Amino acid sequence: MLDRVAALGKAVLDNIAGAGQAMVMLLRALVGKPQIRKSWPLLMQQMYSVGVLSLVIIIVSGLFIGMVIGLQGYTILVDFGAEQSLGPMVALSLLRELGPVVTALLFAGRAGSALTAEIGLMKATEQLSSLEMMAVDPLRRVISPRFWAGFYSMPILAIIFSAVGIYGGYLVGVRWLGVDEGAFWSVMQSNVEWGQDILNGIIKSLVFAFVVTWIALHKGFHCTPTSVGISRATTSTVVTASLAVLGLDFVLTALMFG
Amino acid sequence: MESRNTQLAVGFFVIFGVLALIFLGLRAADTNVGSSNETYKLYAKFDNIGGLKERSPVKVGGVVVGRVTRITLDGDYYEPLVEMTINKQYDEFSNTSSVSILTSGLLGEQYVGLSPGFIDDTVEMLEDGDYIQDTKSALVLEDLIGQFLFSQGND
Amino acid sequence: MTSADADDLVVIENLDFAHGYGAHQVYKGLEMRIPRGKITAVMGPSGIGKTTLLRLIGGQLKPQSGSIKFAGHDIPQLSRSALYEQRKRMSMLFQSGALFTDMTVFDNIAFPIREHSDLPDEIIETIVLMKLEAVGLRGARDLMPGELSGGMARRAALARAIALDPELIMYDEPFAGQDPISMGVIVKLIKSLNNSLGLTSVVVTHDVAEVLTIADKVFIIADKKVVAEGTPEELKASDDDLVQQFLSGDADGPVPFHYKAESFAKDILGEEADADSDAEQRKERDNA
Repeated sequence: MLDRVAALGKAVLDNIAGAGQAMVMLLRALVGKPQIRKSWPLLMQQMYSVGVLSLVIIIVSGLFIGMVIGLQGYTILVDFGAEQSLGPMVALSLLRELGPVVTALLFAGRAGSALTAEIGLMKATEQLSSLEMMAVDPLRRVISPRFWAGFYSMPILAIIFSAVGIYGGYLVGVRWLGVDEGAFWSVMQSNVEWGQDILNGIIKSLVFAFVVTWIALHKGFHCTPTSVGISRATTSTVVTASLAVLGLDFVLTALMFG
Repeated sequence: MESRNTQLAVGFFVIFGVLALIFLGLRAADTNVGSSNETYKLYAKFDNIGGLKERSPVKVGGVVVGRVTRITLDGDYYEPLVEMTINKQYDEFSNTSSVSILTSGLLGEQYVGLSPGFIDDTVEMLEDGDYIQDTKSALVLEDLIGQFLFSQGND
Repeated sequence: MTSADADDLVVIENLDFAHGYGAHQVYKGLEMRIPRGKITAVMGPSGIGKTTLLRLIGGQLKPQSGSIKFAGHDIPQLSRSALYEQRKRMSMLFQSGALFTDMTVFDNIAFPIREHSDLPDEIIETIVLMKLEAVGLRGARDLMPGELSGGMARRAALARAIALDPELIMYDEPFAGQDPISMGVIVKLIKSLNNSLGLTSVVVTHDVAEVLTIADKVFIIADKKVVAEGTPEELKASDDDLVQQFLSGDADGPVPFHYKAESFAKDILGEEADADSDAEQRKERDNA
């Protein structure tokens, strides 16, 4: 019994220490005078591997999710003779929820795990130590550009996801099922608002970007530098980041739309 | 040269994102009454607001001119007070204007219908923070049925 | 700075270090002086913390107490930026080579130069080719690290380590896992680089035969401190049991073959009888 209490206490302390470690890492990586000339190409490189390479999965998933909402929404709405409301249904569910959340989940799986594995492997092969010994701060050289790349990329990906999803809903609803095109767009327009819907979706996605990238980098930077350690850290990134996104989504939704 | 391709790809990525945002803004969203536009506030007291909600539209002859931004209970008798945010573009309503709570369609959302009053030298224009005196409450279906049955009984 | 410090590039005094929160004591009262311009070998059994020593000198780890002076600067006391300033004067060859896997060999070696200087590309190219020539890999400049053999990777890493012309270069197990030929190449490289560039080299290893041929000074670390030091000749002539065990590679001796454990009989039979005496014997041997 006492052992269990002790183990619980240790687990709690470990988690708090981990959070503190992650906080220190982030502060060290981001504070300090930026060197635009040197960090710009690094940022581009990371934007490419984190953002551009995630584009295909985002576009394909966005299209299909939009099409599924269009199809499901139509079959439900047509019973009430309210198929004109298909537009706002597709747009609002994508802009407010699915765009930011699904993008964040896919991002955690695609880019987050890659970030963790890459940094973990750099640690295991002593590349991070080697940077330090070359008087190059790995937090500034490795962590910081990856963090900003994730932070900038994810909202862009979420916007693209929503836009493609709405187009998917349009394809199914208007082109296939024959909802009136004018009604589809105009009812959508009268129900979707810049500030309330689009902007809040972007804010959500910025929060998710911050959290997912941070978790991925922290798990990689502080992993046990062995093959088992890296694989655990990668799994842990996807699990922790996904749970964090879903939990935070509830909190943010409650604050924004509650 | 390899980094040049990378930069190009990232550039296209960002442009693509901006285009998507413009698409969302122009195609999907209502750009008439945005949060950035200049607005002013009007107030109206009702006996019963029915199913009116915050963010319900305020329409003049079917055209959206603003939105309900706050619903509170006011005064000693706890009358529903509706705050409406109206686009600055439409700021020439006289204080003889009336508002009523209407329903779009049989099962549709409720909205505030604003009817502009007559204008002559004796009336003043409504300004930010003014109250609209002439209000008509929402029709509540149960009351209507009750009245109908009552009038049937009298025949 | 005393006169002795002038001849010694790295001076370690009374160093205590433990991993974690004092769970595993690595060094206790370690004293070491590494002479300038010479090749110093640090030897000792595996797991004794030789790599830890290099990390301490590089400031990647902080000791609990004691001082590590690099050219007169006390490394553990330095601020972050001052430490990074000092690190530009030293470099380290990691066991795995630690080449950046996403760059070519050329870019790897150009990396520290690009990071720390604003030299134009042509000059950087000249410097990099010079360094590659020194390790005999000029023809491999466009290969990725994954395409190099282990020995070549280590030589490329060596070229990167000398890219900024450091004063101190630390080799972490440079011979581990190398075939005899590449081992010979690396031995020759360490020697020739040390002489031609006026470096101070610290070689951490347990490959006794190789390192004794080039070392000017040898430290043997065991039991959390330096147990023997001197020139290779002095050590070979030493009558210390531990030194002799280490140099000749005997399986058992002052450094026991067994990791500290309960007696074997007790472990497999669960018997209490005469286990105590056995354990005591081992304890005595451990302390010896």
